[in-house]
Amino acid sequence: MHSARSPYKVTLHVWHALFMREASARITGDRLGWTWIFIEPLVHILLFVAIRQLMGRVRHIAGAEFIPWFITGMVIYLMFSTVMNRSMGAISASRALFAYRQVHPVDTIVVRAILEVLIKVIVLLLLVGGAAFLEYDILPANALAAASVWCTMWIFALGVGLVFSVIVTTIQEMAKFIGMVTFPLYFLSGVMIPVQVLPHSLQTVLLFNPILHIVESFRLAFFTNYQSIYGINMQYVMFWTLSLVVFGLMLQIRFKNRLMSE
Amino acid sequence: MIEVKNLYKRYHGPFGGDWVLKDVSFSIPRGISVGLVGRNGAGKSTLLRLLGGMDMPDKGSITQNCRVSWPIGLGVGFQGSMTGRQNVKFVARIHGGNSNINQIINFVQDFAEIGKAFDQPVKTYSSGMRSRLAFGLSLAFDFDVYLSDEATSVGDAAFRAKATQAFKDRIGDSSIIMVSHSTGILKDLCQAGIWLHQGQAIWYDKLDDAINDYHNSIGKLPT
Repeated sequence: MHSARSPYKVTLHVWHALFMREASARITGDRLGWTWIFIEPLVHILLFVAIRQLMGRVRHIAGAEFIPWFITGMVIYLMFSTVMNRSMGAISASRALFAYRQVHPVDTIVVRAILEVLIKVIVLLLLVGGAAFLEYDILPANALAAASVWCTMWIFALGVGLVFSVIVTTIQEMAKFIGMVTFPLYFLSGVMIPVQVLPHSLQTVLLFNPILHIVESFRLAFFTNYQSIYGINMQYVMFWTLSLVVFGLMLQIRFKNRLMSE
Repeated sequence: MIEVKNLYKRYHGPFGGDWVLKDVSFSIPRGISVGLVGRNGAGKSTLLRLLGGMDMPDKGSITQNCRVSWPIGLGVGFQGSMTGRQNVKFVARIHGGNSNINQIINFVQDFAEIGKAFDQPVKTYSSGMRSRLAFGLSLAFDFDVYLSDEATSVGDAAFRAKATQAFKDRIGDSSIIMVSHSTGILKDLCQAGIWLHQGQAIWYDKLDDAINDYHNSIGKLPT
């Protein structure tokens, strides 16, 4: 007869099992499998570089080369949106597994978020390594700061995922709405369009967006002489992150039964 | 021993929320196998889900001082896109069986006898193959009480004989709570019965009495 496992041990076993399942599903899921994970960011870069070449308006970014500037912002933003979107769908994708009472809805979200961030770390290392090999000035000036900004972005995305997964699972119509609302964030977070060139009145509005703070802080950690706008503040981001995670976990507890049966 | 006290359950949906189970109380002694009978929609599967911890009661409590399996059935517990082997691995891992994972896989593979299909996605399985896999998987773990929701009903004669035999070997160590519309397998495996009728659960020390009362209620002659 087995002795009872402690709740922490059960959770660890569940996370391990879910992680292995998610990872193998991600590799074998469709024909493109692993390759898509690396093609997606490359396509983003190539498309954007091509557009800028066609427009012929290579803006000067103070304190950073353009391509390293774009890669850093784009990868951390892509990490955010992937973690958010994948964790939003985690509950409905794992419905069959709630037959085992050890598996809770929140486990599926956390595990997906962990898997996605690990994949994106590999993508980041490859892109930075590749760009450095092509002699772009992209190696981080302060790697520790970059890592901590990256982790903050991940926890922020996890918090958003925890909240949104409850919303889209209980009210299915909201999925379309959330997709519509989050799409412009790509343009409003300083990923493609340098926020420095925008008028000051617009900058003050955009500064309410915590993702802009993260993207710019990430670049500040990479490029020593980078000139961002005034008002970039990681404390503001931490406040958002903590609130979202706590609120998300509260929702997960409150609506656990509905999430499992819906 | 499983004790159910003043259990209430209803589902909130667009079609109202009538009580599926209303003030249900009973206790199942250790080692006694129970057959659940009742018409479609009487709440048999709901009761099994509650006993298996898949769902929470609206009111009342369930106390279990033993290891209870998940409800073994056709629709639950398998991810269709994963192969049989991957599903077995997953369940072995969440039950903490990472060290003897190969042993569990071999056991399930032997028991299910589904051949090459073991490495095909579960969504390609027939219902009989699913039930073979589900039943074999649950038997790979030492539960005190197994919950079976029609898991045996679609199997062929050979599988039923095997499942019955596997269970009889365990009697004394474990018991089963099963939902089935085939009285044959209920009589083979269970001693006591519960008849679910209009939200109530009526306990019978003898399964035959439960089946007779159920059949009388639907106007079928006792067999």
